Amino acid sequence: MEFLGLVNYALFTAIFIGIYALLALGLNIQWGFAGLFNAGIAGFFAVGAYTSAILSTPPDDGRIGGFDLHFVLGWIGAMLAAALVAWPIGKICLRFRSDYLAIASIGVAEIIRLVIKSEAALTNGARGISGISRPMGDIGYMESQIAYLVIVLAVLIAAYVLVERQFNAPWGRMMRAIRDNEGAAEAMGKDVEFRRLEAFIFGAALMGLGGALFAHFNRSITPEAIDPMVATFLVWIMLILGGSGNNRGAILGAAVVWIIWSVSEIATDRLPPEYAIQAKYIRLFLIGLMLQLVLRFRPEGLLPEPLRGDRGEDRRTSKSGADRE
Amino acid sequence: MDLELFELLNFYVIPGIVLGSIYALGAVGITLIFAILRYAHLAHGDLATLGAFVALACVTGFGISPLAALPIAILVTAAVAVGIDKVFYEHLRERPKIVTVMASLGIALMLRSVVQVVWGVDTQTYARGIVRPEDYFGLRIRDRELYTVAAMILLVGGLQLFLTRSKWGKAMRAMSDNPNLALLSGIDNKKVVILTWIIAGGLCAASGFFLGLNTELKSLMGWNMLLPMFAAAILGGVGRVEGAVLGGLIVGIAEELSVLWIPSEYKAAMAFAILLFMLLVRPTGLLKGKVL
Amino acid sequence: MSALLAMANLTGGYGDADILQDVSLEVAGDEIVVIVGPNGAGKSTAMKSVFGLLTIRGGRIEFDGDDITGWAPNRIVQRGICYVPQVDNIFREMSIHENLEMGGFLKKGDLSAAYDRIYTLFPDLKERRKVLAGALSGGQRQMVAMGRALMLDPKLLLLDEPTAGLSPKYMEQIFQICRDVRDTGVAILLVEQHAKQALAFADRGYVLAAGRNRHEGSGAGLLADREVAEMFLGG
Repeated sequence: MEFLGLVNYALFTAIFIGIYALLALGLNIQWGFAGLFNAGIAGFFAVGAYTSAILSTPPDDGRIGGFDLHFVLGWIGAMLAAALVAWPIGKICLRFRSDYLAIASIGVAEIIRLVIKSEAALTNGARGISGISRPMGDIGYMESQIAYLVIVLAVLIAAYVLVERQFNAPWGRMMRAIRDNEGAAEAMGKDVEFRRLEAFIFGAALMGLGGALFAHFNRSITPEAIDPMVATFLVWIMLILGGSGNNRGAILGAAVVWIIWSVSEIATDRLPPEYAIQAKYIRLFLIGLMLQLVLRFRPEGLLPEPLRGDRGEDRRTSKSGADRE
Repeated sequence: MDLELFELLNFYVIPGIVLGSIYALGAVGITLIFAILRYAHLAHGDLATLGAFVALACVTGFGISPLAALPIAILVTAAVAVGIDKVFYEHLRERPKIVTVMASLGIALMLRSVVQVVWGVDTQTYARGIVRPEDYFGLRIRDRELYTVAAMILLVGGLQLFLTRSKWGKAMRAMSDNPNLALLSGIDNKKVVILTWIIAGGLCAASGFFLGLNTELKSLMGWNMLLPMFAAAILGGVGRVEGAVLGGLIVGIAEELSVLWIPSEYKAAMAFAILLFMLLVRPTGLLKGKVL
Repeated sequence: MSALLAMANLTGGYGDADILQDVSLEVAGDEIVVIVGPNGAGKSTAMKSVFGLLTIRGGRIEFDGDDITGWAPNRIVQRGICYVPQVDNIFREMSIHENLEMGGFLKKGDLSAAYDRIYTLFPDLKERRKVLAGALSGGQRQMVAMGRALMLDPKLLLLDEPTAGLSPKYMEQIFQICRDVRDTGVAILLVEQHAKQALAFADRGYVLAAGRNRHEGSGAGLLADREVAEMFLGG
């Protein structure tokens, strides 16, 4: 592979790592801080992507939208839309055990996918929305990628700083107290339900933002752009491997898993065409297996949850005497 | 008026009962796992997919009829279920249950990938050709639809007999009722767990098989059933076998009837709506099960 | 005469902390022994240690000639000790008869003799044997709980606060049943909060406080003891 090609590929990879890192950060707020099992990540991603697309593209026959707004407004809209979707789901499902939330979130993602595919007036159906402008998209290929990478990194760093600050602030301590011992937290008068909803919504907003970032990078968004279950699963294993409860872990996990995923794609691309299709599913199998291995042998992840005066182990995935939610 | 009634029955209710029976088979397994192992098994749908495709392998490999392949598929899937538990879930038993739920999401992906690698992603069927329904006093029913409902009744009926009459069946109920006391009474937890997986795995195979028999085989077929299966189990009441059957039938019929008033693309949303509704209004389900 | 059950200098707890410190007690094969004491004295804990539900860090427990220190509950059940927990001690969704059946789970062969024994002890239960245990009154549930534990014909029965939450009428009934059970040759070790009534009907008693032995003696003797009375008036 010639050098330029390699550089472009590296940039491309870095951008995707940035986007997935954002998703993983969002999941970290929901799962790492608040102990909420969200299996519908792809749904919030899609909501964000489409919202930004609808808001920031020029008018198009047959579908609403076309407000042609600046991409920043599109991205803010994406976060708001994802948050708005998360709110009712959270209100209904968060008071139950995580299992029920898991199933409900799978359902939500499914409904969102159905809506996107079917409501052509909103989303252009299977054709998707194209012609999304990429900021700095008009300069040269590599330059444009570099520029976008800078934007993605800026967003990621901003998000990281915000989330990390919250984590260290009283809010973060309270979230973890609720996560680890709900009964005690409730007794102390903390409004458990509201706090969990907060976490769920914030996490969803970040996921929506990730979707918007993707849509603008790709310059288009279709229902098939990402395989929802693959994407959702990738984000989960990124967080678990990186270290749930740890923001740097989320980012590290995104990098590690995405690199493994990409490299394995390169490796299997070299196989003869008959095996090419199977190759994707072999890679999926291995990713699934990787999760089992991480859960068994290193559940706290590469970067465990940082000590904050409590025991350092990841309380939600490691051995516990009491049968905990 | 008569015509409309029969139209309703033939095009909506009967397919709904068939689909409901397929859901019921899966939902019973889910409710058992909820009751005894106390978590949501997210790989249940893909276990059904595996069962369907194992049956396909028997049909194409040994040249036997699909129905003859069913028992083999049931045995193989039951064995796979026990194997999965031994290799992947057993080690997580000391941890919070949600970890096993997470693992099961990964197992779902792995099962699906195996099917995709071995059998590819193209749609397949057990037998080619259109099957015309027989006429039973104005009701149009296909043989395979009869088999589906009959099989569900037989399998679940057999399970109920097992649970109410046999010692180990009662042991399963005891573990679901009061796991601590079951242990104190000397009931071997490990054996009950294995039994649970055998039953759940076997029923899954039947569920996937009959879905494939009545429609077609796709690698995502089981995953697409996951939500309806869970909706059915929760609708009926977690831990209640009869509830899972009732829930399955209701979800199936509701799904088929739904096209009368919502666009058909949203059929799948019906199950979700039922799930949310139950969680909001009556989480213990129709037959008062547990709330986990 | 060697005791059926002999606990000597037992020290242990659930997690890292030791609840029991150097506790000793004995139960002969044909007596009712009660453990009393103020709240938090470690009474239930002492009993649970016999059934293998505790982390033991010192001392030993002997039963019927075997050293059962550190044995798992499963093994202890098979050896001849059965345990009735204070709460959650029945299968609510199963009938009375099924509860008994589960009690007899480990028994190989026909259970009819065992059923007869239990129904003779608890004639009330026989009439209602198809009723779900959860639908019964508190006193009847306690009978089911005891019946379940007696199915395996144990040599020693452990009862954790069997009269908790029961009316005086049922309390008396439970104590009478305990006497009947003892008369069939089963030793009973029980923990009781209602110390006065328990000491009145038991053969012998131990008073524990703060995880240690404080007093022991015959039931009547302890009742008459001033110091014991003071402890309970104060606590």
